[in-house]
Amino acid sequence: MTLALKALISSALAGLLGLDSVQAGQFLLSRPALVGPLLGWLNGCPLEGAKIGILLELLYIDFIPVGGVVPPNGTAAAAVGVLAHAAGGLAPSLAFFIGVAAGVAYSPVEYRLRAARSGLNALIEAQVAAGDLRLRRWLARALVMENAALAGYVLAMTGLAALLGLLPGVSRLYPGADFAYSLMPWLGLSGLYFRFRTQIYKKG
Amino acid sequence: MLFKMFLRSFLLQAGWNYERFQNLGFAFALQPALEKAYAGGDRLKAALLRHLEIFNTQPYMASFVLGNVARMEERAAAGDQDMVKHLPGVKQALASSFASIGDRIFWGRLKPMTVQLCLLVWAGCGFYGWLFTDMTETPAFGVLLAGPLSGIAVYSVFSVYIRWKGLKAGYACGGSANCALDAANWPRLIRLLSAAGFAMSLAIVLLAFGLLAGFNCGACRPADLLLKIGLPIAVLALHRVARAFGRSVFFSAGLILAASVLLFGLLKLEPFKLYL
Repeated sequence: MTLALKALISSALAGLLGLDSVQAGQFLLSRPALVGPLLGWLNGCPLEGAKIGILLELLYIDFIPVGGVVPPNGTAAAAVGVLAHAAGGLAPSLAFFIGVAAGVAYSPVEYRLRAARSGLNALIEAQVAAGDLRLRRWLARALVMENAALAGYVLAMTGLAALLGLLPGVSRLYPGADFAYSLMPWLGLSGLYFRFRTQIYKKG
Repeated sequence: MLFKMFLRSFLLQAGWNYERFQNLGFAFALQPALEKAYAGGDRLKAALLRHLEIFNTQPYMASFVLGNVARMEERAAAGDQDMVKHLPGVKQALASSFASIGDRIFWGRLKPMTVQLCLLVWAGCGFYGWLFTDMTETPAFGVLLAGPLSGIAVYSVFSVYIRWKGLKAGYACGGSANCALDAANWPRLIRLLSAAGFAMSLAIVLLAFGLLAGFNCGACRPADLLLKIGLPIAVLALHRVARAFGRSVFFSAGLILAASVLLFGLLKLEPFKLYL
């Protein structure tokens, strides 16, 4: 399978898994800890996929999707991170940081998708008032839009990462990125530790 | 009918929007109960339109509200007009209460605990790639999947159970604004999860420092060992201070990346490895 085809399939899979984060199920199948090794395996680098995935998970676990908040998207981060390494040819360390940025940058896209659906309320009400009680097609439409948006985003960001890899002088970033990458587990563990420590001190 | 509602509740947030939040998913999940209660006609239409109004709660806990509202609609269809009058207030009160409980249990505790479980399973299988970013030895793919899947399995079993239990409990006591709020000892559960989460966090951090010391012990000078242990402590402190100033984890990550690129990329200092 060519790199491009693998990237295409991986993006589609990321789009599908991404639905689990908010739209459907919410079994945590969209978490970077799972998306990382899965896409890594699909692209021939399961170890790097798992490492990128779990480190993103440790950073992204800091964000809680309460109320209307759109947290950074962990699925997009893991998918772009793994594909930037596997298909874009970047070192895992740089791919990881690109993944972090890609997950954060997806939030405005997600926000716009949610905001766009507000306009559907009047249409749905009019449909129901007219006697057509089928709500299923509106939900299906929302699912397809979310899936397509995330898959397209992952593919586009992977393409950008591959272009970045072609730039002269990128390799000069690697020693620093590698070192920073080696410290990321500690940053993630810190978040995990202080989250529960705060809860204990607040007494529930 | 309850089982159909249960299955549909997995799509509660499919139509999430900023104007009315989970309204579309809620109406969709409630539809089997409304169709059974009103059996078509204008009353069914009016009931469905009622539930296309604003609604928002924690998605797993929504089933408590769904069950309650299904019972209220049944009673309204049977002629109890007070139910229609009280419905918006009861729905809103329950949505807020269960959102607060659900956010604490699922987002605040169980979700991070799935990551802890993943790390502990990986550590138990001898895979330390989550700590040693330079590790090149690839474990079996089954081991790589076992970590995240163990956390996901525990989380999903509990969340699916709560969805089903909530639907049944809400349906059993439907009609009041405090219905099913006592379905479990929530404060005790929250305290237990906090304690378990903290214990696992502590175990993982101690394990990480133990591995760091163990892998470097005897392989480098004491001064180097101190530096290698001091650096992670500095990272922990940086994160703590950044949080105290309201900065997210990305601020700390960006700072570490910028400093590292400056030192080892632009100033060309010799980088060292945290692990040997």
